[in-house]
Amino acid sequence: MTEMNMVQAINNGLDLALKLDDSVILLGEDIGINGGVFRVTEGLQKKYGEDRVMDTPLVELGIVGMAIGMALTGLKPVPEIQFQDFIYTAMDQIINQAAKMRFRSNGDYTVPMVLRTPYGGGVKGGLYHSQSGEAYFAHTAGLTVVTPSGPYDAKGLLLSAIDYEDPVIFLEPKRLYRSIKEEVKDGEYKVPLRKASVVREGDDLTAITYGSMVPTVKNTFEKHKVNGDIIDLRTLVPMDIGTVIQSVEKTGRVVIIHEAPRTGGFGAEISASITERALESLLAPILRVTGPDSPFPYKMEDYYIPDDRRIMKAVNKLLEFR
Amino acid sequence: MPEQDKSEEKTRLIKAYTAIVLSRTLDNKIVVSQRQGRVGFYTPTIGQEALQVGASMALQDKDLIYGYYRDVPLMLHRGVPMENIINQIMGNREDSALGRQMPSHYCDKKRNFMSVQSPVATNLPLAVGSAYTQKYRKTNSIVLTTFGEGSTSAPDFHAALNLAAVYNLPVIFLCENNGWAISMPVEKQTLAEIWTKASAYGMRGVRANGNDLLETYEVTREAVKRAREGKGPTLIDAVSFRMGPHSTSDDPTKYRDVIVEEGSDKDPVIITEKLLKSKGYIDDKFIESIKTRAEKIVNDKFEECAKIPAADPSSAFTGVYKESSWMLDEEVKDLL
Ligand SMILES: Cc1ncc(C[n+]2csc(CCOP(=O)(O)OP(=O)(O)O)c2C)c(N)n1
Repeated sequence: MTEMNMVQAINNGLDLALKLDDSVILLGEDIGINGGVFRVTEGLQKKYGEDRVMDTPLVELGIVGMAIGMALTGLKPVPEIQFQDFIYTAMDQIINQAAKMRFRSNGDYTVPMVLRTPYGGGVKGGLYHSQSGEAYFAHTAGLTVVTPSGPYDAKGLLLSAIDYEDPVIFLEPKRLYRSIKEEVKDGEYKVPLRKASVVREGDDLTAITYGSMVPTVKNTFEKHKVNGDIIDLRTLVPMDIGTVIQSVEKTGRVVIIHEAPRTGGFGAEISASITERALESLLAPILRVTGPDSPFPYKMEDYYIPDDRRIMKAVNKLLEFR
Repeated sequence: MPEQDKSEEKTRLIKAYTAIVLSRTLDNKIVVSQRQGRVGFYTPTIGQEALQVGASMALQDKDLIYGYYRDVPLMLHRGVPMENIINQIMGNREDSALGRQMPSHYCDKKRNFMSVQSPVATNLPLAVGSAYTQKYRKTNSIVLTTFGEGSTSAPDFHAALNLAAVYNLPVIFLCENNGWAISMPVEKQTLAEIWTKASAYGMRGVRANGNDLLETYEVTREAVKRAREGKGPTLIDAVSFRMGPHSTSDDPTKYRDVIVEEGSDKDPVIITEKLLKSKGYIDDKFIESIKTRAEKIVNDKFEECAKIPAADPSSAFTGVYKESSWMLDEEVKDLL
């Protein structure tokens, strides 16, 4: 065990993956000699060479398209998109090639690629270095969407994703890159995909969240002694509906927290899935605490990201609802 | 050169040199202020002054600029008030975007300087569309768009060049080739010389020494003339050097040994001084007085702008649509 932040844990996971399997290839902008703009790939090019840790020209659709091509021919590429905000030119490759390959070839061809990219606000990045675009990916059948909320899970989920046989969109909450330290196992271990984690238990209500918002919700619940479950989804698609419903049947009250804008956000999907399965258990309407339906602002980012005050407002409303 | 032309040239070059010095002084001030925590972020322009000002000299006020995050020298030469630039960087309430955008993302509608985005090269197709408008409306205005050499790898670059050529539009693609895209040197970015990429689209491509103010001016002037005459687009590869870090978040010692020291023979400020001296337009005393004045202007403006408070928080959540959405209205009630 070593105490690590998320940057170190992911670096450690990538290092291990590169060491264990020579079909693992990293590619992206500034990931080699510079070690990535967030230093997640620090030292890896030096250790494994330019053939395996590739500094690419500035072309996101090329990075992703090449990675898909590598995956189709037996490699296990782990492309990095420097900021999730810059992924959009590559969406054609992601949506029309990666996500649909298994289906359209009936399994003759598959895309075991792990596309890593930092997302979310909180680093004073303004409109284009703060976006939370998970819903774009969640809406695309064939993609598996994963987001860790701490160092331990980050490494374990990453190693599972690299061994997974379908394309994984691995969203790294950049605000948490260095803000949390945890004991992380040194060797290989896996945290399963498609499994949520109950990070706090209680009887009065269920908070469902993921990625960047998990520590905020945890702190809020601790500070205000909220007696509720907190579910960290970890994999958004396919969602671990069993864990969600089990908790909802216990508490009957649900708040969903994410940083992305509300409209068409993943919270809507969670909410609908619950009402379809557990309407009789609900004692109150399902509430959402989310980013607003506006672009992410530079100066006023603290207003944008859900905070203690807004989460508690929803919690109290839920608890008071009769 | 006839006396009158000479005096006109002198005026023009002194204006250009002044913009270069002002820009450099401002650049240094912002970088220092960022280290002091007075500014959040910045993308320095040091090294790219001569090429930007040279290009700007060839333009008219009515021409449209689709710039990028390093275009402070161009903006200053074009007449964008320095306080507009500082206010943007501080994100205060005098900033035209009210602090919504990250520093270095300028906009000045009055000077036809379009709003800057972060995703590189996405301004290029927009420049082509706006050039179409100029042609369609017969305005005789042209459009200039700027970007780094790294951005030539992006799909938008290729789409834009092809479209501009196909429709024979009055647009100039000014590649500010500073040799580096964060940690990626141009030799690894592309195996082709940037200017030669134009030929793939049947377009004119030229190279200019971007550290040579007059050469960049002449090359741009020719491109502007052709564009106005309906002879179509040009790609200009203006070669210079990124003397600073990519941004205030970047540490170039991690990936490069080559440096160009400020004040050395390769510094475009020094190169421009030599040029103007050789023409007898300036001397050391003039240089000193201009630099002293620039220091004072920059410091005064900076402190003035620093006193301006931030915009009201609600400004970050308005202006998404002309007519606001009920969704956002409802959310904002909860936020503020
Ligand atoms: C589409 C896109 N991908 C990645 C980035 C992150 N990024 C910002 S600037 C930059 C390098 C740009 O280099 P270049 O175009 O040469 O311009 P320079 O910064 O050197 O002036 C990168 C990779 C971005 N802004 N946009």
